[in-house]
Amino acid sequence: MCVTGSTGPVLAKLCGTVKHLPDEAVASCRVCQTVLPGVGPFTRVLGVLSFQASGIPRVVAWLTGGVAEVDLTSRRVVLMTGKGGVGRTTLSAALAKAAAREGRRVLVAEVGEPSELEQSSLAELFGLPRFETTPSHLAERIDGVMLDSERGTELFLASVLKLKALARLAVRTKPLLRLLHAAPSFHEMGIFYHLLSLLEARDGDGAHRHDLVIFDMPATGHSLALTRLPKILLRLVPVGPMADALRAGQAILNDPAKGVACVVTLPEALPVTEALELLEGLRDSDLAVGAVVANCVPGNPFSDEERAALADLLGDGPLLGSTELERIDRADASLERLRENVKAPLLALDERPEQGPDLVEALSRQLAEVAP
Amino acid sequence: MTVVADLVREKQIIVCCGAGGVGKTTTSAALAVAGARSGRRVLVLTVDPSRRLAQTLGVKRNSDEPIRLSAVREREVGIEAPGGLSAWMLDPKLVSDRAVRKLASSPEEADRLLRNPVYGQVTQMIAGMQEYTAMEALHGFVERGDYDLVVLDTPPSRNALNFLEAPGRLAEFLDGRIFQLFLPRREGVLLGTTRKLVGLVLGGVFGRQFYSDLTTFFGSFSGLFSILNGNARRMSERLRSDDVAFLLVTSPVREAMVDAFWFDDRIRQLGLPLGGFVLNRSVAGNAERRQPDASLLPADPSPHHHAALEKLLRLSEKERRRVDQDRDLLDALRDRAGDRVPVLAIPEIGDGVDDLPGLAGLAGHLLNGA
Repeated sequence: MCVTGSTGPVLAKLCGTVKHLPDEAVASCRVCQTVLPGVGPFTRVLGVLSFQASGIPRVVAWLTGGVAEVDLTSRRVVLMTGKGGVGRTTLSAALAKAAAREGRRVLVAEVGEPSELEQSSLAELFGLPRFETTPSHLAERIDGVMLDSERGTELFLASVLKLKALARLAVRTKPLLRLLHAAPSFHEMGIFYHLLSLLEARDGDGAHRHDLVIFDMPATGHSLALTRLPKILLRLVPVGPMADALRAGQAILNDPAKGVACVVTLPEALPVTEALELLEGLRDSDLAVGAVVANCVPGNPFSDEERAALADLLGDGPLLGSTELERIDRADASLERLRENVKAPLLALDERPEQGPDLVEALSRQLAEVAP
Repeated sequence: MTVVADLVREKQIIVCCGAGGVGKTTTSAALAVAGARSGRRVLVLTVDPSRRLAQTLGVKRNSDEPIRLSAVREREVGIEAPGGLSAWMLDPKLVSDRAVRKLASSPEEADRLLRNPVYGQVTQMIAGMQEYTAMEALHGFVERGDYDLVVLDTPPSRNALNFLEAPGRLAEFLDGRIFQLFLPRREGVLLGTTRKLVGLVLGGVFGRQFYSDLTTFFGSFSGLFSILNGNARRMSERLRSDDVAFLLVTSPVREAMVDAFWFDDRIRQLGLPLGGFVLNRSVAGNAERRQPDASLLPADPSPHHHAALEKLLRLSEKERRRVDQDRDLLDALRDRAGDRVPVLAIPEIGDGVDDLPGLAGLAGHLLNGA
């Protein structure tokens, strides 16, 4: 199925197997015949085809197998961002499963705010009440961890203070630890360092213990505080061990080949506005945006002719179904706005009936599906 | 009339809490409109409004004072004198600068404090400052007495609870025993040893220069912090009084409901007065809507008409499922609320909710029910 936007085929959604043209190593959409350069044989493309200002189509497919610009799973770290309720956590879990199926060793991480210990939705999706502050096994090639500021601070102090005895003493000195955790940005620094230590952890054979860390970040405000942290703190503390740690983090996060943010949103006016504002905020932090994902996009079942005919049926008063119809219209308008304003690769994911772990499974299959 | 109508007429402070993405900021603005409509002078303190809402309210970042909605706009949303609506966007740096100027012993002292390099950065570390400055701003505006009602939109999502706990967390930060470690000329064997350790650790971790800036910062600000801390503590007490109401805003999404219930527990634990639940974007009320059927077809229907009807039927089935789901969630919310507090369900308004007519419409729902 290929859904075209109201102003022509500017937004093509490809939900089927892409026709393969064997000799030319290009493929085209089965329905609208748009040629998709760079898509390999038998790649199943589930994504949005966005056209750059130049008019050259840019294939945006959710990876695995084919050559595509949206490639989140080959990075070292993906920071999942977005307002609450947009499906950030579900998508984090689904991406982890998809990457694990590709053979990547994945670590999913979430922040354990002291006030949030009772709930940990990412852990719940994997059937655990909550994660520990050291990685624990969740599924094949998937570990989960709770990023914790105190744990990060301890690791940091231990790495910095050469005298082991001093480090141990420091870690046990309550006033010192309380000071570090009460001060505004030290809390974020602890989380940052915990993340960094997990990214740098290696196995006995020297390989990274996890190929990919997917960090389900806290809602927008805190996300930005975390991503801006290195820049702000480095102004304050330009030299010394903390500066070294911040720069080591930057070397990963500010290298688009290693670290990207993924901004999740919903196809509604306000969430899109907030996503655009978040993207603007992320620009300050030198973090590349790997993808913008519009989640839960309701399918538009009507052809143009049917939509015109529908107007004759909708007479007086709202019917049961009118609200759904309005949602479809808002989703179309929202995707159009994203397409106009987002430079990063854009991906639209279909609304699905499943919930919880079933939804994770379904989405991960959708993300990782490759035709034989 | 709804119970929310009583709240906006009677209370002096309304605090909106809820998960991110449930329409909390917009609801706060609509509550303020509703309050102003009932003839009160209302101020809404927003934390993170969308640009559209900021434009609608006419607020800008870095404005010194709340901005009153123009008379034309006020009339457009049904506000008549003596009612009035002002809005202010919380700017952590502005709030703390202002507090420093107000509390410093002299203008020169204030300038010196504001120039400290550590101070300059601390206010940028928004995550920690936002909750505290929300409290400080609320304190400032309530104390001035220019407004009959102040509506506070809490920081987004997970931070919102830090706001409730800000005084506690800040108090810990400002705890005398911790401070003493940084203040010069205080002796005692234990203290001296701990301070040496702190000096060693912090000097090693952050470098000597920063440690010295930090020490100066704590030294200069300790007096100020204790005043600010006192304000925050008083405000935290103030939030437990009768003329305050906390409203829990949620949407018909399982995660948002879980958060709302969690907030409810915390609010109870902290002894704060809960005013009620507001369930946004609920389609629970659509149950009575007419089911599409063949009678909608025109006299001489085309194949497109038939196809359109068939697809519309499928949409109505989908909507029916959402209606059922939303009704279950509304029931769960009502069970939870019991006879303690009311639950108000607001229908989905769709686009333009952040425009003037949208806010007016939402205010109408809040005042008169769906």
